[in-house]
Amino acid sequence: MVAETSQRTTPLELVQDIVSPLLKQPAPATQPAMGFFTDTSICIGCKACEVACKQWNELPAENAQWSGTSYDNTRQLSATTWRHVQFIEQIGREPPQVSTLPFLNNDRWLMHSDVCKHCANAPCQEACPTGAIIHTEFDTVYVQQDICNGCGYCVVACPFGVIARDEQGSHTARKCTLCYDRMKDGLEPACAKACPTDSIQYGEVEQLKAQARERLGLLHERGVSEARLYGVDDNILDGDLNSFFLLLDEPAVYNLPHNPSRPSNNVIPASWWSIATALVLSLLGIFFFSNNK
Amino acid sequence: MLETHLPQALIERLAPSQLAEHLATLTTGYTPNSEQEASEPTYYDLPVLKAPVWRWEIIWYFFFGGLAAGCYIIASIAALFGSHEDRIVARTGYYLSLLALLPCPPLLIKDLGRPERFLHMLRIFKVRSPMSVGMWAVISLSFFSGLTTLIQVARDGLLGHAWGARWLASLPQRLLALPGSAVALLLGSYTGVLLTATSIPLWSRSKLLGGIFLISAVSTSTALISFVLRLVRTPLRTLHKLERLEWSVLLLEMLGLLAFLRASGRAARPLVGTAPTEHGMSFWRFAFGTGLALPWLLQTLSLLAKRSRQSPFPGLLISLLVLLGGYVLRRTIVEAGHTSSQDARTTLWNARS
Repeated sequence: MVAETSQRTTPLELVQDIVSPLLKQPAPATQPAMGFFTDTSICIGCKACEVACKQWNELPAENAQWSGTSYDNTRQLSATTWRHVQFIEQIGREPPQVSTLPFLNNDRWLMHSDVCKHCANAPCQEACPTGAIIHTEFDTVYVQQDICNGCGYCVVACPFGVIARDEQGSHTARKCTLCYDRMKDGLEPACAKACPTDSIQYGEVEQLKAQARERLGLLHERGVSEARLYGVDDNILDGDLNSFFLLLDEPAVYNLPHNPSRPSNNVIPASWWSIATALVLSLLGIFFFSNNK
Repeated sequence: MLETHLPQALIERLAPSQLAEHLATLTTGYTPNSEQEASEPTYYDLPVLKAPVWRWEIIWYFFFGGLAAGCYIIASIAALFGSHEDRIVARTGYYLSLLALLPCPPLLIKDLGRPERFLHMLRIFKVRSPMSVGMWAVISLSFFSGLTTLIQVARDGLLGHAWGARWLASLPQRLLALPGSAVALLLGSYTGVLLTATSIPLWSRSKLLGGIFLISAVSTSTALISFVLRLVRTPLRTLHKLERLEWSVLLLEMLGLLAFLRASGRAARPLVGTAPTEHGMSFWRFAFGTGLALPWLLQTLSLLAKRSRQSPFPGLLISLLVLLGGYVLRRTIVEAGHTSSQDARTTLWNARS
């Protein structure tokens, strides 16, 4: 952007105005990695996180559509929904999987506040051809809205179906920012602040992981054997997730992929096959054109 | 009623949708089992992934980009290894390459969510991102193709005989063809690699899509060059070379697609199956059938026939079939990717295995 001035500037100042945005700025000081620990075992499905996120980020409401599946009418994360509460009704489960709560039936109602996983090795960031998607100084994954040109490659790269192109609004890719603006001012993200049960915890990733492991141990001790961590110690996408979860069933129940492959790992094998094909085709071409019979 | 049931059953067995379904099961090695699939857990069958945002602009870009790359490669091979009479292949190929390249930038720019920001692609060069590499490949080939064609134009006397034209005509076109062909090979294959480096099961489970796109680029380009050359005076020997090349590349393309389907297994269902959202009917009829198998058979017959004077019509037909097939192949692959992204069960199955 060229700065507009009302007074006459010298030619040197004009050149400086044009060149300075192109020069590399000093990077912000590195901070400890921050993230989310979403503990679904204490989620009460109040959706305060969805509302707080919408309000803080000034996101529009989705078109109301009756899903018919429990209390979830949001259905998925989108370009303008960055927290999505899932409700899973498990009626008539098989007897052996007994929850420790001394009820007479095994029916459960699982609730899970889904969000961007802020992967340590984010496929969206690896795919982005403009450099719009970056890891911030807090090691969160952030889309710079003034750079993104809406190519949509991050959309197909994400194995969790998080990031999407905002077709109604900016036509750029949008997703949870982990309230980057709040973090810079030392505040916790809106969803974590609004959560009444502290199911969504915000803090330093290493600290949260320790808390999560402790919580998992406690649940296992009490007999909740199906409890598991997702994004901690399971090397998802070769590096764990900065926004991880404690789940009460297998990931597929929450539409989470068990062990998704990292898309950028496909580049090398696919390229080798392309090179091999290129060689074969070139040899074929050379053979037929050199043969003058 | 009994009398009509027997022929009816036979008719049903031979019905195109049944044949397509059999082919789908045979080539992928996966028989759909709705009961077993229904027992796989998902979150109320809602999609796990987001659908690709690409539509007709990208499909046509894949087609024209492939033609641009393939024509440049064939032209360069003819220029470097062909005989003197093969020069016409080089000339035609270079001209067609630039012509095919012309619609590519507008298509790519139009496809963006914010087209006015298309230059932002040039902010970085990210080796891990096929889209970043590809953008630079498009620009590089534009340079090579543009310069090569400019030299050709000068040599064909279209720029007159001023000193500038003579200087251009004296530039080493064949030397330029070496790096130019490397870039063209990159352009012809990177789009497939781009699709592979995603989370869409159909595109990413097998790693062969880059190779397949390159083979298709060469087969459609050979068809286009042959088509044009048949309309003008071209030595039969040159046309024969192109025919033999076309025959081999079509065979390679069919084998490549079969390998891709086998490697993808269940993930390839959206491309080859016959369910309502699957694209098997288009794929088997127009991409594999009339786009590859039929022209390959016709080409086999044409090559076996020993007539010295041939009517141009079989060749023209073969070229048109291959070109149409190449377009349908790209279209079905992109549209089936859309379907693949919306299938939660296959996505979760793909992430498990």
